[in-house]
Amino acid sequence: MTRVAAVGDLHAGPDSVGTIRSRFEDLPQRADVLLLAGDLTRRGTEEEGRIVAGELRDLGVPVAAVLGNHDHHSGQEDRIREHLEAAGVRVLEREGLVLDIDGTRLGVAGTKGFGGGFAGASASAFGEDQMKAFIGHTETLAAGLEEALTNLRADVRIALLHYAPVDATLAGERLEIFPFLGSYLLAEAIDRAGADLVIHGHAHRGKEKGVTAGGITVRNVAETVIRHAYKVYRVGDGVRPGPEAEAARLAE
Amino acid sequence: MTGEQPEYVVARIQQALATDPRTGELELDVRIAGGRVFLAGAVATSERREAVEQVVRETAPELDVHNELSVTEDLPPGPSESVS
Repeated sequence: MTRVAAVGDLHAGPDSVGTIRSRFEDLPQRADVLLLAGDLTRRGTEEEGRIVAGELRDLGVPVAAVLGNHDHHSGQEDRIREHLEAAGVRVLEREGLVLDIDGTRLGVAGTKGFGGGFAGASASAFGEDQMKAFIGHTETLAAGLEEALTNLRADVRIALLHYAPVDATLAGERLEIFPFLGSYLLAEAIDRAGADLVIHGHAHRGKEKGVTAGGITVRNVAETVIRHAYKVYRVGDGVRPGPEAEAARLAE
Repeated sequence: MTGEQPEYVVARIQQALATDPRTGELELDVRIAGGRVFLAGAVATSERREAVEQVVRETAPELDVHNELSVTEDLPPGPSESVS
């Protein structure tokens, strides 16, 4: 069993010094890993990236993150990523990471994701170049996530996103903005690749719990939704760690 | 400014809250009722709560502002849940 702490939408700024670090004070007693579901900064400036990286350094457990739309606002997402990685935070964009946690291999594949809407009410790559670029970005990230998830050699696999893969966790948001909150293409990719849990943020007024069409548990961990510093999800309760589990998985 | 429809004022306030360097807030609830602006939702710190109110006052100086924003900086850790 692995304890996965998760929260999204920290939105760090110059006034966040000390406040983010303090919320993770006893994290090693409560969780084995921390996942951050994007929007680590407020306006996506390098300075905010430096501040949040400082807050997340040496928390006592491995930390992995995806970036969000706020982290892209100032065009300094590459510098934000560098500050985070220098502080030991793994930033995942169509990439995977496998952590050995007491003999269980925990795999995390992440992408920011993007919008478009949900099955039956989704934008299409049709018409103007701007529409094609919009949906094309989502398609690219969904395909990259699927590949990263598929390639994880792990006992437990988690997909980490900023944008929502299902509309169930958006309930409470205005219906008109659903296409800007997520895309079914992300869920479709995750269902094809398989996963044990999907974590996302971004939908501040949504709700925590949802499920993909393929039956994979989805949790929206935007801090205004979970109303806590972070939530802890216990995954792999039934998993037998080690080489036997891997052999069983490969034999499927 | 006089006679501007409330829904356009709301849209202008939301645009200002998103793009103003002091705020960068996209997710707040802004309503105009009875000639007052009602602000709801959550921001990370008390400084930001004040900054949002200030930007709204500058954007719609003719309206009173009712600030109902909550602050998330002192949230405690949440309970754990078994998911698989």
